[in-house]
Amino acid sequence: MRMTIAVAVLLALLPLGLPPYAMTLLTEALIMALFAMSLDLMVGYARLISFGHAAAYGLGAYTCGNILLHTDIPLPFAVLMAGVFSGVVAIGVAWVCTLATGVSFSMLTLAFGQLLYAVAFKWTSVTGASDGLAGIPRTKGPFGTAFFGTKTGFYYLTMACLFGSFLFARAVVRSPFGAVLRGIRENEAKTLSLGYNTRLYKIAVVAMSYMLGGLAGALYAPFAGFANTELLFWLLSGQVLIMVIVGGTGTLVGPILGAVFFLLVQQQLSTYTDSWALVFGAIFILFVLFVPDGIMGLARRRRAH
Amino acid sequence: MDFLAFLVTQCLNALSQAALLFFLGCGLTLIFGIMRIVNFAHGAFFMLGAYVGWSAVYVTGSFWGALVAAPILVGGFGAAFEMGILRRLYGRDGHSFLMVTFGLTLMMGEAIRLIWGVAALQVVMPQSLSGIVFILDEPFPIYRLFLAGAGIVVAVVIWQFLERTRLGLLIRATSQNAEMVHALGTDVRLVRSAVFGIGCGLAGIGGVFAAPMVTASLGMAPNAVIDTFVIVIIGGMGSFLGSMIGALLVAFVQVFGSYYFPDFALAFMYLIMLTILVVRPGGLLGKEA
Repeated sequence: MRMTIAVAVLLALLPLGLPPYAMTLLTEALIMALFAMSLDLMVGYARLISFGHAAAYGLGAYTCGNILLHTDIPLPFAVLMAGVFSGVVAIGVAWVCTLATGVSFSMLTLAFGQLLYAVAFKWTSVTGASDGLAGIPRTKGPFGTAFFGTKTGFYYLTMACLFGSFLFARAVVRSPFGAVLRGIRENEAKTLSLGYNTRLYKIAVVAMSYMLGGLAGALYAPFAGFANTELLFWLLSGQVLIMVIVGGTGTLVGPILGAVFFLLVQQQLSTYTDSWALVFGAIFILFVLFVPDGIMGLARRRRAH
Repeated sequence: MDFLAFLVTQCLNALSQAALLFFLGCGLTLIFGIMRIVNFAHGAFFMLGAYVGWSAVYVTGSFWGALVAAPILVGGFGAAFEMGILRRLYGRDGHSFLMVTFGLTLMMGEAIRLIWGVAALQVVMPQSLSGIVFILDEPFPIYRLFLAGAGIVVAVVIWQFLERTRLGLLIRATSQNAEMVHALGTDVRLVRSAVFGIGCGLAGIGGVFAAPMVTASLGMAPNAVIDTFVIVIIGGMGSFLGSMIGALLVAFVQVFGSYYFPDFALAFMYLIMLTILVVRPGGLLGKEA
């Protein structure tokens, strides 16, 4: 807890000293961090490996984009509403996907993600098809919510969402509910025979994961000012899964670090060389070979020595 | 246009499309069957095949030369990657392979950009295949006929290879029980390298076949890999026959779907995949995962 507060204070003070372009990058990194952490709820705690988590992100982004474009609802509420919406949709998705387990579950989530991608590509009135939604405003509102529309304000909004979600997710995994999830991860048959309806637990955790993932997407839409089908494409699902693995699954903090690492390294490399992808790819391969349990695993081993 | 002619030409169209998908899907499914890994870099090998094909045509002046050179070079590269990197990772969980093959995809994409540049490269098809023929008075490109034929030939060759040759036997045995094959005195590691090489080589030859129609470009990989996934998942991961059925199903849905209901063709493909997975979680011919 002390660590959490210290990091929060540090992040809250950063806008005082950082140039604007660094703030933009940092905001994007925090959004990605929230997205990766949301996936870790499923992957790390219930071993529900989703290949279609972009669905949550895209749902949140398009929902938030439409709310901001077509209503007067102020930014922070629009973001929250989009996150909740994504979580509600996830109940249906999870109900179908949890019919299967293991690799088949992953494939079903991939199919769902791509189905949404295909729909978004053609549903022009809602998604703007291949052009996407452009010019998404940061709608101002009463009670000082106008502040969140500024660059610094938006950073604080993102930070609040990330920390709120982190505390929520940590409470979930530390609760009895979280213990059942770990039971499912280690031995689902045994958990089932202890009398837990594991499928309901799985549906619940997928819904939570989608809600937080949707929240991340909902932040991205007004952050970038646009939403397009890239946000639903399987490539993003693959990337976020890799951020989770790079950071270390089942730790919540790890994926946050993984996402920040991913974005910052990518950014830094691309300023040095056009061929950043070459180095980036090599980093992944070396990572797997030499740091199999992620950044958090590395930190833990350090501490053990 | 009379309906019969329309039906025949569209079916031939779908067959040629299925042939392309099959080159990719069959390799992916073979690799999964033996190693239990999902090769995310499969689309990158397909793309590499197209570019190597372009260079081979440039150097030898012959499309047929490209058809020989690309699978050998791409397959060789795949086998080398298996021996150098993947081999160290067996026994780890699926995460590792996801990351390694994803990393490889990034590196290959960038390496291709550095070597061949960003412009799309047009592979010229050989004179003898570039014309059209009339089927029931309907014009139809010869190249697509050739592609459909090539698909059938390759399918038969692979099928016979798996059924009739010693290596084919070892591959089937290894996919059922690798430990036992190893205990009986076969170096399973070599079988794995061979299968990975063959799978990548098939993707490479698919790239050469595709190049004259779609040009070799950097956008090839992500789209190819997702189509490949769909057919392999529909057919059942690890099933050779399944990948054939999946390729045919997807190709027919794509061709007829984009004619009759162009707005829903793409969504329809994923809907079919979802339905099949819900009914049979392992795919049509796959084992329950």
